[in-house]
Amino acid sequence: MSRIETEVLIVGGGIAGTAIARELSRYKVDATLVEKGADFGQGITKCSSTIMCQGSNTLEFRSEYHNSRLVWAGMPLMAPLCQELNIPLKKIGSLELIKNQAGMRRPEKMIRRFNEYRGKYISPDVEPLQFIDRETLRSWEPNLDRRYIGALYDPNIAVNDPVRLTIALAENAGQNGVNLLLETEVLGISAGIDTFEVQTSKGSIKCRYIINAAGEYIGNLAQMANADDFALYPVKSYQAVLDKKMGGLISHMVFSSEDGMVSPTIHGNLFFGISPGTQRLGKAHDHSTDKKLADTALRRAQELVPDVSSKDIINSFVGFIVFRNFEIGWHECTVGVSRWVPRFINASIGFPGICAAPAVAREMVEILTRHGLRLEENPEFNPYQKAMPDFSELSDEEKKRLIAEDPRYGHVVCRCETVTEGEIVEAIKRGAKTLDGVKFRCRPGMGRCQGGFCGPRVTKILARELGIPETEVTKKGGESQNLMYKSKELLEAQP
Amino acid sequence: MKLQDVDVAVIGAGPAGMAAAIKAREAGAERVVIMERAEELGGLLHQCVHNGFGLLYFNQDLTGPEYGHRFIEKVMDTGVKPLLETMVVRLTEDRQIGAVNAREGYITFKPKSIVLAMGCRERSRGALDIPGTRPAGVLTAGTAQRYVNVEGFVPGKKIVILGSGDIGMIMARRLTLEGAQVEAVVEMLPYIGGLIRNEVQCLHDFEIPLFLEHTVTRIHGEDRVRAVTIARVDGRRNPVAGTEKTIACDTLLLSVGLIPENELSVMAGIQLDPVTGGALVDEMRQTTVSGVFAGGNVLHVHDLVDNVSWESELAGESAARFALEGKPQKRGEISIKAGTNIRYIVPQTISGQRDATLYMRVTEPEEMVRIKVGDILTKGVRAVKPSEMLKIELPAETLKKLKEETKEIVVDCEKRGGK
Repeated sequence: MSRIETEVLIVGGGIAGTAIARELSRYKVDATLVEKGADFGQGITKCSSTIMCQGSNTLEFRSEYHNSRLVWAGMPLMAPLCQELNIPLKKIGSLELIKNQAGMRRPEKMIRRFNEYRGKYISPDVEPLQFIDRETLRSWEPNLDRRYIGALYDPNIAVNDPVRLTIALAENAGQNGVNLLLETEVLGISAGIDTFEVQTSKGSIKCRYIINAAGEYIGNLAQMANADDFALYPVKSYQAVLDKKMGGLISHMVFSSEDGMVSPTIHGNLFFGISPGTQRLGKAHDHSTDKKLADTALRRAQELVPDVSSKDIINSFVGFIVFRNFEIGWHECTVGVSRWVPRFINASIGFPGICAAPAVAREMVEILTRHGLRLEENPEFNPYQKAMPDFSELSDEEKKRLIAEDPRYGHVVCRCETVTEGEIVEAIKRGAKTLDGVKFRCRPGMGRCQGGFCGPRVTKILARELGIPETEVTKKGGESQNLMYKSKELLEAQP
Repeated sequence: MKLQDVDVAVIGAGPAGMAAAIKAREAGAERVVIMERAEELGGLLHQCVHNGFGLLYFNQDLTGPEYGHRFIEKVMDTGVKPLLETMVVRLTEDRQIGAVNAREGYITFKPKSIVLAMGCRERSRGALDIPGTRPAGVLTAGTAQRYVNVEGFVPGKKIVILGSGDIGMIMARRLTLEGAQVEAVVEMLPYIGGLIRNEVQCLHDFEIPLFLEHTVTRIHGEDRVRAVTIARVDGRRNPVAGTEKTIACDTLLLSVGLIPENELSVMAGIQLDPVTGGALVDEMRQTTVSGVFAGGNVLHVHDLVDNVSWESELAGESAARFALEGKPQKRGEISIKAGTNIRYIVPQTISGQRDATLYMRVTEPEEMVRIKVGDILTKGVRAVKPSEMLKIELPAETLKKLKEETKEIVVDCEKRGGK
């Protein structure tokens, strides 16, 4: 058991915690981030829809909400951030579909509101919303169901890979001086006069400020410090990823409030899901999918794009978001200092969380300054992060060159996504310790066979690079060993 | 051998690829290469340590590695050039192959003809969309087979197997022999998915409980699988509420079907059969792209490796002929259509000029049936099952009975009257 002293303790290694850590690393400050999981971005960040939205969705949320202002502020920061961190971000644009004449009033209202906010809350760099008529809609999306008579087009909508972004933020924060501790779970907090004593699974941490970015566990953490002056409700949705061969079916994110959504992913797949916010509440921390939601999501996706088929699903997962209660405002966020405990700062954006994260991070700097933390610029701050090599995206010439430099790039381990041993070794070098850690960094096992072929091979490489037996390689840390016994071990144990 | 001079390139060195490459050599093609992404020839045969291979082809009961070894030796003896640890990543309509390996880096070449022999992959948990959590310990039966028989690990101690495909049943026995407890084999259909001999030798002989007309409705556990819930299904294969039963286990194996691996075929613009998931071929096993042939599980999932070998020999022989003659064979244009109780037939078209071997599967099990191939051939069969392929030979002599203008032949599997 160790004992650490730090100025600012960030709890939670999801998109919010890592964005804050990276923002703080611009300054000369002693900051530590603890994450209970084996890797970054494996909680509700992983459950994100991957869509960076602001326009028509958040316009609904109105400017009086702190949440809306953070989303609007965060959106223009996303592209430069992804560029610095070398993370792909792709603008695809969204089409909110209109079924009948009555539905025509909504785009008018949204466009009016957008124009009113633009330059005020919304950056003037953000492209304006447009109404798209039936013919244009057909020509843009020929595979869309014929019933739709028009759409509200938001050209700003983009997709990225939130887990990769989170990992890159963490890596960059780490390189710029933030102390990152994985598999470190906070067990208790006691508040002193001007410090906190935090008990973790790895020892105690003394700190002056706590930033609560614990995602779906934000309420639990606040409770430990008696700072739970808010109530959050988890909401569950369902998302399914389709085989890349269906990737060309549509090119925009298409959705309608009744029918759910279908969208391309950053990696060239297609995915569909039920848009969150309309679904009943789930149990806290329950990340299981269920058949009812899955069936509903599929049916609704087929209303939008009839060619979507369950046959092409390669994986599905739960979409998981925590919202505030109805009284305060369903879409309001929990970002700010606790009303009860000074220097305990909550940072839960709710929805849509990913694109708000850069703005939340900036706001944290302001809040900390306002509450007495002196922040001096870190002259050595380096905002850039080297990209993970992506073999499948290279030209033939680049492939040749890379293999000549390191023959491990000539060894394809994951055939579905064409991931090489070179990339897997690089992912492990950069901090991947689990099968999921490798998978979320360079994609082996994310393709159509879901690791059936590469699983044993990646396990072997992990064991070799980490210097552990294969029976200790886990899927996601903890007790998630992939292989429990060596050959004959069970027989020898028998009487 | 320079790659630029290759006559026949075979993609995949499992049983299909090896048989095709050997036959291509024997049929006169001089420069034959076999491209394989693994470290050795043989494909999945290495992990199939059980017996039952070669009963038809060699008239002997062999294990997978033994069966494989006979072909590996022949590959070497006939002078086929193996390109190991080489992954084909590109195939174009004009037969350009792009591949990577650690020695030569990125290589491209254009052989005179190509045989696709990439085999198949297993359907995953994701593809089945089984509800529940996402713990470790859910894997396909074939992956488990590799772990146990090649890598030397046992995935878990208490096992439930979903699906009664052959690999699933064989793994039920294999894991029992390794000291694990197989709690249940769960099959959605009213009959098993694999061969009868495997039901008897792998399940009954080891007293492994088999739940027919059941499915897994939920996976439990956060880090590692803790239990699964199974339920009875109705006639439309939907779970029946109130019949759920939770079985404690640490591993769920999936043996719920195989999917031909045709990503390269699609890249080359080859048309696929939506039922088999493999290419549309004629009796020469030529695909819709001239000079590209296919055989084995990449074409349709076979029941026995013996049939894989035979079919691929046909593809290899055709590819050799194509390479030697240097001009395209005329594609068969008479289509073979699946009729009563027939799920699919390979090949999908024939020329009517040459001997043709039809492989087919039925939709439902049936006893005392008659297979009718249009009005040219009728054959009585005692029992048919979806898990067992039917093989019908149509010699050129019989095909002479076809009328000049015949464009389509329907194959039916009808119950014989009176019984």
